[in-house]
Amino acid sequence: MTTITLMKQKLLILTLTVAAILAGCSGDKEANPDPIQGRDNTAKTVTVALLPKIKGIAYFSSCAEGAREAADELGNIELIYDGPTDGDPKKQAEMIESWTVDGVDVIAVSPNAPDVVANAMREARAEGVQVITWDADAAADTRTFFVNQATAQSIGVGMVNAMVNDLGPDTEGDVVIVSSDATSANQNSWIEVMKPAIENSNLNLATIKYPGENASQALADSQDVIKKYPNLKGLFGISSVSFPGAAEAVEQTGHSGKILVTGLSTPNEMKKFVHSGTVRSVVLWNTVDLGYLTIFVAEALATGKLREGATTFTAGRLGEKVIAGDNVLLGDILVFTKDNIDNYDF
Amino acid sequence: MNFMSRLLRQREYGLTAVILIIGASVAFIDTGFLAAGNLKDLIIRCAPTAIVACGVMLVVLTGEIDISVGSLMALLAALMGMMISETRMEISMWLGLPATLLLGTLVGAFTGALVTLGKVPSIIVTLGLLTALRGLTTLIMGGNNIDGLPDGLGQMTKYGVLGMPISVWTAIAVIIVTGVIITKTALGRRLFAVGSSRYSAKMVGLNETRLKLFAFAYTGFLTGLATVVDVPRLPKIEAGIGIGFELLVITCVVVGGVSISGGRGKLRGVLLAVLLMTMIRPALTFMDVGESGEKWTRAIQGMFILLAVITDSIVQRRRKRRLHDL
Repeated sequence: MTTITLMKQKLLILTLTVAAILAGCSGDKEANPDPIQGRDNTAKTVTVALLPKIKGIAYFSSCAEGAREAADELGNIELIYDGPTDGDPKKQAEMIESWTVDGVDVIAVSPNAPDVVANAMREARAEGVQVITWDADAAADTRTFFVNQATAQSIGVGMVNAMVNDLGPDTEGDVVIVSSDATSANQNSWIEVMKPAIENSNLNLATIKYPGENASQALADSQDVIKKYPNLKGLFGISSVSFPGAAEAVEQTGHSGKILVTGLSTPNEMKKFVHSGTVRSVVLWNTVDLGYLTIFVAEALATGKLREGATTFTAGRLGEKVIAGDNVLLGDILVFTKDNIDNYDF
Repeated sequence: MNFMSRLLRQREYGLTAVILIIGASVAFIDTGFLAAGNLKDLIIRCAPTAIVACGVMLVVLTGEIDISVGSLMALLAALMGMMISETRMEISMWLGLPATLLLGTLVGAFTGALVTLGKVPSIIVTLGLLTALRGLTTLIMGGNNIDGLPDGLGQMTKYGVLGMPISVWTAIAVIIVTGVIITKTALGRRLFAVGSSRYSAKMVGLNETRLKLFAFAYTGFLTGLATVVDVPRLPKIEAGIGIGFELLVITCVVVGGVSISGGRGKLRGVLLAVLLMTMIRPALTFMDVGESGEKWTRAIQGMFILLAVITDSIVQRRRKRRLHDL
């Protein structure tokens, strides 16, 4: 009997551990610069295959819009925009393979599952095709550059500026950041930028909550801080779960319009809160500019204008962009308000 | 019997003491913790956990375990959303909600069948389902969140009737029904009997399979019920709903004093544990533990689990020793 009981207890502890690991699992890939010679090619027409995670959804369609704009502006680009309609990464790999056979000059990949497409990307490079990633990154040895849409600096400062503007620069009071997990790398990098930015304003950062990727916990934590800090003026919801969670808490506690909520999100997710006045600004990178920049990087790589080790890059109407390591940084953010949010559908 | 061993044996006394100590200490720092509005929020948050814990408690009483309820909740929330959202199939919620309960019951019965008829240990079955049901949910939702649930449902779950959301009234009903099953019915006594000694239970002619099937199906039904009354309170239905919920429920059952090996446990203890586990996070908020303190909330919750499991094994060992002494 005792052994059985002990076994069950051990099993229980094991289960709790496994459950905790399953719940808390998340990984971020660290990109390392990989010195591979860029192909020097001064051909007249550059064929660029732009591969989204999913074709046909509004987010990527708006990126494609910017890509077409860049192709028209450059004039020497033959742009192929295609991707799986169901987001199947295996189909992404097949497309990369067939483009490699067709002999395109550049393939720009937004990998849905980096591991699944990695081999196809390596094979393409071995065949002399320039491979870059955009929107989402993959292993460093599978691409030359990553067109990185979101720098911590621009997002963090963008959110604080939006809050300060919405409240009015003279408003004093508390703000709280509702993050994801205490270990979430993206959120922590934004928080590092937000802290000094808040310090430089008239606002005071009362605390930071870490509800995890858990909608009911995000709602609960936001309700609690609303009660705890009577002078609360604003909530930053900085994950896709905590942003709507914080907005919902403000509405359910009847503080809509009195406590403002801002954060990072695609516009469709937050439209109802923008229209109800709980959220005045939704911050996101400029998706059109992301597509535009990606095509400029692709063209410059194919024609040899851009090589590894470069630290800046000039991309048409966007002007000079910083290259950090092998990341070409888009930098600019876009703020959705009730005046423009209905123009976007993703 | 000295005071300490009484505290250990009667888990409810210990839990009540801890709840009072935490409540008083936090109120000493910030009286806002005991404000009516905060207590009401606390009760609302307890509701879904209490509802599902009533089911899982019966499963654990029979000597089995169910660690898949969080994923089941996500699956049922997705299916409910697909059925009744105005942006999806837009079926009447008077059909969609009972269908959700039925689906929950069916998955619960299926789990029970795998355990009893399939003779696979329940921890393996439900560990598998924990991942499988979550995967199925992601597949069904296809990366899109669901909103546009009927306004009436949102009103009932957020604000409710007679000052409390329907989740609270549902929880009260479930607690009464479960309490009656456990203390007043032959079914309840048989559930205890199967858990405390399968062999003796078999000798007196109890149908172990049917009893365990009931416990699992009841858990599935209650998970459906918790989904229907609590999920529409959230801003949207997303694939991450209920992550870690199975862990919370099991913790409450174990901290509440239900023996992991089955056959012993009180509903009162489980409900007190639900209150204790739910109040820890807001307590830390009101104590203003600060930025770095926030990172410790999970560790503190984990400590309570460890404490409970250790206490449980001490009680078991003492029991054995006393039996040997006789």
